[in-house]
Amino acid sequence: MSDVLLSVRNLNKGFFGVQVLKDVSFDVQKGHVLGLLGENGSGKSTTMNLVGGILQRDSGTIELAGAGIAPQNARDAQALGIAFIHQELSLFQNLSVEENIFLDHFPLRAGPLPLIDRRALRRKATEALALVGLETAPSTPVSRLPQGERQLVEIAKALTREAKLIIFDEPTTSLTAPESKRLFEIIERLRSQGMSIIYISHILGDVMRLCDDIVVLRDGQVIATEPVAQTSIERIVSQMVGRSIDNLFPERDKHCDASRSALSLRGVSQPGIVRDISFDLHPGEVLGISGLMGSGRSELARIIFGLDPYAAGEISVNGRRLRAGSPRTAMDAGIAFLTEDRRGEGLVMEASIAENILLPSLPKQASGFMSYLKPAHVTALAREMSEKVHVRAASIDRTAVRALSGGNQQKVVIGKWLLTAPQVFILDEPTRGIDVGAKYEVYKIINQLVANGAAVLMISSEIEELIGMADRIMVMSRGEPRGFFDRENFDREALMRAALWD
Amino acid sequence: MSNSTADTRVGGGGLRPLQILQRAISSGYLVFALTILYVLAVWPFVPEILSRTNLVAILLQVIPLFIAAMGLMLVLMVAQIDLSATSIMALSCVVGASIITAQGGYMAGSPMATIVAIVVILAIGIAFGLLNGFCTAYMEMPSFLVTLTTMMFFSGAAIWYTALHTASGSSIGSLPGSFVQLGYGGIFGIPYAGIAAVLIGLGTHFLLTGTVFGRWIVAVGFNPRAALVSGIPVRRVIVWTFVISGICSAIAGIIYTARLEAGMPILGQRILLDIIGATVIGGVSLFGGTGRVLGVFFGVLFLSVVDNGLQLMGLSLSSVFAIKGSVILFAALLDVLRHKMVARS
Amino acid sequence: MNNHRLLLAILNAAPLILFGLIVVTLSLLSDSFLSVANFRNIVNQAAPVAVMAIGMTFVLLVKGVDLSIGSVMYLVAVLMGLYLSGLPLVVVIAAVLLIGLVFGAVNATFITRFDIAPFIVTLATLFIIRGLALFLSGTRMVFQSDTIQTMGRSALFGVPYAIWILAIIAAIGWVVLSQTPYGRQIYAVGADPHAAEKAGIPVRRIVFSVFCICGVCAAIGAFISVSQIGAASATFGYQKEFPVIAAAVLGGTSLFGGRGGVFGSIFGAVLVQTTENGLVMLNADPYLYPLVAALIIFLAAWVDGRRTAITERLERRKIRVE
Repeated sequence: MSDVLLSVRNLNKGFFGVQVLKDVSFDVQKGHVLGLLGENGSGKSTTMNLVGGILQRDSGTIELAGAGIAPQNARDAQALGIAFIHQELSLFQNLSVEENIFLDHFPLRAGPLPLIDRRALRRKATEALALVGLETAPSTPVSRLPQGERQLVEIAKALTREAKLIIFDEPTTSLTAPESKRLFEIIERLRSQGMSIIYISHILGDVMRLCDDIVVLRDGQVIATEPVAQTSIERIVSQMVGRSIDNLFPERDKHCDASRSALSLRGVSQPGIVRDISFDLHPGEVLGISGLMGSGRSELARIIFGLDPYAAGEISVNGRRLRAGSPRTAMDAGIAFLTEDRRGEGLVMEASIAENILLPSLPKQASGFMSYLKPAHVTALAREMSEKVHVRAASIDRTAVRALSGGNQQKVVIGKWLLTAPQVFILDEPTRGIDVGAKYEVYKIINQLVANGAAVLMISSEIEELIGMADRIMVMSRGEPRGFFDRENFDREALMRAALWD
Repeated sequence: MSNSTADTRVGGGGLRPLQILQRAISSGYLVFALTILYVLAVWPFVPEILSRTNLVAILLQVIPLFIAAMGLMLVLMVAQIDLSATSIMALSCVVGASIITAQGGYMAGSPMATIVAIVVILAIGIAFGLLNGFCTAYMEMPSFLVTLTTMMFFSGAAIWYTALHTASGSSIGSLPGSFVQLGYGGIFGIPYAGIAAVLIGLGTHFLLTGTVFGRWIVAVGFNPRAALVSGIPVRRVIVWTFVISGICSAIAGIIYTARLEAGMPILGQRILLDIIGATVIGGVSLFGGTGRVLGVFFGVLFLSVVDNGLQLMGLSLSSVFAIKGSVILFAALLDVLRHKMVARS
Repeated sequence: MNNHRLLLAILNAAPLILFGLIVVTLSLLSDSFLSVANFRNIVNQAAPVAVMAIGMTFVLLVKGVDLSIGSVMYLVAVLMGLYLSGLPLVVVIAAVLLIGLVFGAVNATFITRFDIAPFIVTLATLFIIRGLALFLSGTRMVFQSDTIQTMGRSALFGVPYAIWILAIIAAIGWVVLSQTPYGRQIYAVGADPHAAEKAGIPVRRIVFSVFCICGVCAAIGAFISVSQIGAASATFGYQKEFPVIAAAVLGGTSLFGGRGGVFGSIFGAVLVQTTENGLVMLNADPYLYPLVAALIIFLAAWVDGRRTAITERLERRKIRVE
């Protein structure tokens, strides 16, 4: 048994009387990578926020290298040697790489005044960047770096602080595949140098490849603590969900009507974003778009929905050309768009379920003087829809969507678009950050939709999801289509190769 | 996950003091209660505060302030602010007065003069509301700076315009009776201004609770990005709220001008704080999204009563300044407390 | 894309172009405009606004704003004239700095402790502080001691003392912003306060401190201004926040936080002063001054809004290299 760096014992934490963590205990060995797994809301983030000093525990102990610690804020945790690399990077675009790395521990010149020693700063930054294999000049503004390199800067930052433990929270969500690969290599190297790492991810394949041990959380409790060698993805999934899911994707018949085109793109291009995108989406078809983050897939969706401009090409819906530049026009043509940013763009978090569901359909439901909305009529509509998509909540016109779980929030977003009776539904990462049970319900809704003749454009980072759901998959890379695959030719590796093809 | 949906039901018995405080802060009637407390507190010193004439005076003071506050409420609800409201009042009314004044007005003596003046005043309110809204929504400038600048510009322009039209340069007087009666005159004992205030209040309430535009305002105020993705013409909604604010300012300006029987370029300089204070203390959030007509009415009532009490006690203008500034700070503090409580629950 | 960069360059240069246009116009219209003496005069007059604009730059960098500086100016002038006039200069200066610090700290407390929007806090304190000062002065003219008035007229090596103070404040401001950890952290807080919090930067302390700095700069500006004028009427410092914000924004400091610097603000102040100087030279109707001032601020805010929008567009992630 190697020695233990971090030891967490009987951690409890509640928010306003709701117990979020119950007696959570686990150890992180020196020189090991620990995978922390669980559905959203299982308590992963809370646990890590306690360790990282962002929240304070109600009871329990945290020991680092044998000494009890109680970090009161992120700064304390850093001083103790705990680095927390958040999903959203905390780099500042208006500062240079070196300033970002040393932002809270600048090397100072000798003397009474706290002046930055620019020469030492340059030297130390160069060293730190070398540790993560980044050859960018330290004086480059961060705004000029690609996403993957920014993450490396973040790691370099942790290393200069002599971190003993690095926590990665979903580090790969915004990385391209080569960038992820580079990240994994660095994590491997850090491990071999004796660094301990906690790795949080939804991508179980990565976890299996990278981690030594795993801890599975469910409803704020530790369900399993196992070496990776003794478990499997299926076993982890069933531990996460609490029941085993035999079939992740519901069965569905093929409804595709290839003779007609619901959505058709011809040579759509926008400099710097996408080039020459052409395809036809048929009624009753699910067209998957695969590609890595930053391949232009979400940007394409935004262009179709009129949120972003395009310089050349043509978009038509049901054979009629779509005027560019306004979501309203796209909606009137029958397009609906579930964005990948649920909290920022999908929902009005402070408003009720009914208000959110009704939002895009308001003009349609209004009548008479000054677009009057009959309260009873619209509430009934919203209620009917929320029942149809199985939103579970105490009250549809009093409960704010903020209070719902991720899965229920996503069902509200889907419901609000279904109420507009869309003919083309663009779904950008429809199952991101929602639990397995809710995923299954989302898939069922999609199937129902296409069964009724609508067309679905489904963007996803999870290839398995597209393979399970789509009739056809378009692979994108660097803003260009890299090939179309029909259902018969779905092959994980071939799809992956196309996405990586340069 | 299921427990996170446990909503705002608070147990019937055994409220802890903290919960009582929280409920009080989020209650729309808190301000009304404070108003009554204030009256009870100053009554021993100035018993005339409850006299019939004084109560009527307070009510008359409430009317134009309430109308202006309705406009500002809508602007605040889309998470913007209109600091130019009072200078729109001043400029539009100075221009209006220059049309009807008996001392060389453009249409002096004409039977149509008053109607034309009112139309011009409203048109100026609309135009300046459009300008504010356009700069905020389409030019993406921060609204507090846009309206701070237009405030400076409009009030400067009002003073300049008055100086051009009069010898004294301080106001444009000698307004015809048909205009002046809009201030205190009425029908069946009910002042015209009161009727206008009630109509505007009910109209705004209907707008917010029963129409598409009202729902759009709320959505834009809470989350403009989500509103845009839901097909709401976010920029147009913002412009409209500024236009309505301009109209409300113009109407309030007409009432003030009619009461003063003169177009004053410095009209409203002092009531800017009252308008902002009344709306914020009336529960309209500076963060956008929330606002109720009744709450704002209570806010206006509170501020008018406080003002009235201070005047009765004979406090100097400088103290009134300081006290009203403090009221705004207090209102903003309440707003933050409410906001935090909602975010937590 | 190149169009955007060109437009950005034009917008960045817009204040310079405006300055050039004003200088050329005025030197054509008046013989006395283009002289060392007149320029020294302009900078001397601009010094109070410039010093306050440096303070405002700190506040704007963290996405804040301070509307109360005009009232702080008046309060400082009133306290100096009524209560500090007999005291030694060193004591007066120390007291002035302390007054600025205290009212800066009051603003800062409401903003950082209670999370109230800076513009609403400082709008309220604008009225409260002016009310307090008016109460003390009884709205009467407040005259300054002879020591202060003499100082206002004095010069060193032919350069008025106000310009020396400005130079010192500017030097300190530049060193703090660009050469100290604290200064760089201010930029970080302005770019993204949440990220700064997560990165372990003491965000509240920094926001608190910039409002204190702004208060101190307002007090220094009041000291310079009142020493130059010799007395303060009831409207002293009234709406002074406008030229100060305009100066900072014209100098390239963004209202949206995270961008800007000291020297730009000085340039902005000189630009604002030159305009006013020009209006006086041209014998313009004094009623038009606030209109022109409002137009300049409006222009500054418009340029800043456009500039921010374009920068964001340029910094947005590109997928393809075209």
